Amino acid sequence: MKKLSLLLIVIAVLLSGLSIVSAQDDMGIDSAWWQAAGAPYAGTVLHGVTESTPPSNYVKDVLAPMFQEMTGIQVDLETTSWDQMYDKAIRDMEAGSGIYDFVYIEQDIIYGYLANNYLVDMTQALSENPDLAAPGFSFDDFTSFLNYFKNADGDVFGMPMEAFVKVYLYRTDLFENADNQAAFEAEYGYPLAPATTHQQYTDIAKFFTEYGEANDMDLWGTTVQAASGHPSSFYEFFESVAPTFGVYNWGINMENWKATVENGGEMNSDAAKEALAWWLGNLQYAPPESTSSTWDEVAASFAAGRAAQGLVYGENAAWIATDPERSTVVGNVGVALPPLSDGVLAAAEAGDGYIGYYDGGAFGLPVSSQNVEATLLWLQFVGLPQVQEEWAATSSRIVMDSTYSTPMVVEVDAATNGYFSLMKDEGYLFAGAPPFPFHPQVREVVAPFIYQAIGGELTAAEALDQAAAAADAELVSLGYGS
Amino acid sequence: MKINTRKVLSYAFTYVVWIIVTIVTILPVYWMFVISARSRVELFNAPNLIISSFYTQNYTNVIYDRTFQSYMMNSVIVSTGNAVLVTALALLATYALSRYDLVGKDNIFFTTLTQRMAPPAAFLLPLFLLYTQVFAFGEGRARWDLYDTQIGLILLYCVFNLPFAIWLLKGIIDGIPVELDEAAYVDGATTSMVIRRIILPLAAPGLAVTLILSWVFAWNEYLLAATLTNFNARTITTGLAEFVTVTGTNWGEMAAVAMLTLVPSLIVVAFAQRYLVAGLTFGAVKN
Amino acid sequence: MRRTRTGWLLLAPSMIILFVVGIVPFIYVLYVGFFDWNLFSASREMTFNGVNNYRQLVFDPLFLDAIWVTIRFTFFAVVSQLIIGFFLAQLLLRDFPGKSFFRTIHTVPLMIAPIAIGAIWRLLTIPGFGPIPYLLDRWFDFEFNIGNNATQAFLAIVIMDIWHWTPFVTLTMLAGLSALPAEPREAAQVDGANSWQIFRFITLPQMQPVVLTVLFIRIMDGLRTVDEINMLTNGGGPGTSTRTIGIHIFRVVFPQTDYGYGSAMSLLTLYLTIVACWFLFVSLTAVRKR
Repeated sequence: MKKLSLLLIVIAVLLSGLSIVSAQDDMGIDSAWWQAAGAPYAGTVLHGVTESTPPSNYVKDVLAPMFQEMTGIQVDLETTSWDQMYDKAIRDMEAGSGIYDFVYIEQDIIYGYLANNYLVDMTQALSENPDLAAPGFSFDDFTSFLNYFKNADGDVFGMPMEAFVKVYLYRTDLFENADNQAAFEAEYGYPLAPATTHQQYTDIAKFFTEYGEANDMDLWGTTVQAASGHPSSFYEFFESVAPTFGVYNWGINMENWKATVENGGEMNSDAAKEALAWWLGNLQYAPPESTSSTWDEVAASFAAGRAAQGLVYGENAAWIATDPERSTVVGNVGVALPPLSDGVLAAAEAGDGYIGYYDGGAFGLPVSSQNVEATLLWLQFVGLPQVQEEWAATSSRIVMDSTYSTPMVVEVDAATNGYFSLMKDEGYLFAGAPPFPFHPQVREVVAPFIYQAIGGELTAAEALDQAAAAADAELVSLGYGS
Repeated sequence: MKINTRKVLSYAFTYVVWIIVTIVTILPVYWMFVISARSRVELFNAPNLIISSFYTQNYTNVIYDRTFQSYMMNSVIVSTGNAVLVTALALLATYALSRYDLVGKDNIFFTTLTQRMAPPAAFLLPLFLLYTQVFAFGEGRARWDLYDTQIGLILLYCVFNLPFAIWLLKGIIDGIPVELDEAAYVDGATTSMVIRRIILPLAAPGLAVTLILSWVFAWNEYLLAATLTNFNARTITTGLAEFVTVTGTNWGEMAAVAMLTLVPSLIVVAFAQRYLVAGLTFGAVKN
Repeated sequence: MRRTRTGWLLLAPSMIILFVVGIVPFIYVLYVGFFDWNLFSASREMTFNGVNNYRQLVFDPLFLDAIWVTIRFTFFAVVSQLIIGFFLAQLLLRDFPGKSFFRTIHTVPLMIAPIAIGAIWRLLTIPGFGPIPYLLDRWFDFEFNIGNNATQAFLAIVIMDIWHWTPFVTLTMLAGLSALPAEPREAAQVDGANSWQIFRFITLPQMQPVVLTVLFIRIMDGLRTVDEINMLTNGGGPGTSTRTIGIHIFRVVFPQTDYGYGSAMSLLTLYLTIVACWFLFVSLTAVRKR
């Protein structure tokens, strides 16, 4: 269905481009301006690299042809795996080889790129070239997610192209079943509803695991993104679980760059250890593939109906809830805020913490690009409010406040029982990755201890004690703290 | 009669072993085929080895995809180009190593082999710099460099294919009696004539094996191709990795691509079965 | 021996290519290995630190662990391949109907891209998805989960490698066996030796160079296996139980962007591989000269 609809969209776009200019005027894009602005660069080919994801594929399949139609500037987008994307972008920018005119920047790597002066200051570039500033484009249209791509002076270095929150998904058909509700209340003494505390979450996980066993179903209580050799498990713990226990920024003290408790960090604090123990404890109520599950397999398990609840990246919410080609739980998906420890919600509301991960990315313009002007045009095009609606509805990403109220998005919101509403209203409680200029470096050092904890070689406490010590050592060797 | 019973038993044994080996060999590939014939939702059901309905979309989606077609074309060009280049160079090099009294011959031979031993990851940065900055000519739009070109990959694959090819051919050419060359030289033949008229025909099975194996290794290479190409010269193995995404690995299409990738190799091998055995002696056995 | 100048000329094209795409990068890696250089460190500069990287490596538990995993993996895989391959080659020596069919099917794994092989075995072994854990559970009530059982994950990568590379060993052994002179065997038969004795005292010694050659090639390639393991166990899990040295270097050089340390690690690994292979090479040369 999705493929087909995408195809129809492409055809529609191509036809509209062919027929008359007025078709584009329906979208409110000033095509005459774009044509004139693109004329000096007609025939130029822009190269970009991004991760192979639905939002990126939409850019490649829909927006790029549309842009070329209007301006004569061709856009080639290389969609590749997550590892490769980073590797290629960083190597190109570091060597200054100018292969890419725009690169995907995940929110967590921006600080490293800024520290290394890889990116063009778009605010400055646009004010220096006023004739390139497109009508209808404004950085003010974006949600506060844009702030992650600003430097200290407030200049923008990345054009946001996708943003999600990692939410608590649950199966409405299971949770709202009267028999289940009665049985649950009889056993645990409180009504069955999406968990607000960790204890409730575990109770529900246990309940549905036993329910699955008793009814000979392939059903477990929860998903766990616990791939035992892949960074995705590190991320689920530090970005989505630890904050719900009040451990922020991976437990690294931002003042002195220390992770161990004795040096002022929190990575091996009691709260962090409790969080890891809780998370590992959920594995007994999770489907057997959990220890092989990276981000995509968690979504697949949930879509296969193998889990009653779980923390799932928002970019999957829409297809899990709506696409019968890929999901067996269409129409049975509910969203909620993750379970929290006491005081965490209050702290997040007061702006002193966060309850989960606000994930996303932007396109940045490397200083090594040979086509800065043409790329500025292209990136503004991607940032036009007019192109956002369908893009949001097909790949559950939203970067502008105005997109929330568009008809297609409202429709998907209803199908997911309010994913977009939750993102709009409660999104401020979530946060992106901490502003570390050394993100993957410390992750790679800490992650093996988490892997070993998943495999049962280390207890939660041992893993975090060793991880914190290793993080301290790595930070010193990187030149942060002393 | 006793001998006959033994013979029958030994035949039976041979067949039993080979049937088991065949099943074990084929089942994983068959499972991939099964996956390629199912839609995403069907994959969630309990594993089932029987194909009840064929979901052709996995195949049509990729076959009619322009990107996929160009990946396939690049793979064909790169592996064929590399196999021919490697075989030709190896023939010359091996002839030299076999027939001439070169100083440090054994060391040269071993040193070429060490090229194959290096863990590739750390070598990608220097190779990238080499391809984008050293072998780069011109400026602006007229700029040309080895990065993201088919010829770049063809040259690069020599690193692991040439040593292997030299080793493979060394034994074969050593096995051709030197007296044949000598006789030809006495008759006034040049080196090039000797290689073409005497060595080439006699070493044919070995050359065939070298060609096939180089082709297969180049066809299957992933890491270097993934790193050193981006738009124009991407090969089919790099395409495989693109199906692994955060919103669900598309196992069906990935399996379909893997099956399609396998077809050319299988055709090559089916035709070249005979040579494959005859040529794989690595000079380990004196004829 | 003929004029050596022509010999060098014939060798030159190969040597030039290998020098440019092989030795030049090697020199670069060698150079970088003496520096402290991480793109995302506070200083970002390349700072010369002598042999510090190497000194650190000797005590780096992750590095040593990865080496140990690689050695064990190569050992179990290669030994099994040798035994199975030799045995299958023996069975192929004699003619029987269907032989070439069996042989052709046997070579199929050899033709598949390593990255696809990793995908195939992942599809076979992922719990909830793959038939292997499903059937083991169904038939024997045995829990097979490569995600959290280190031993089973290790076993899985070894079996995958055996599946992938045994055909190569079989074919090479078969080529060797078919080329063996028959006289010694026939003479022994006439003298009344049984088949075990013939195998032990005649075939095996004759096959020694072939066995050493296969050993050399398989060890050389086995030590640098990356693609298929990376795909099967998702980067070397559980824990670090299948993180071979190739995967480990990959993670240090790419996500961690620790070029200096990663280069040193690469070179030390290369050095260890060369030493191991050199011993094999020398004994091979010795055996062949005998």
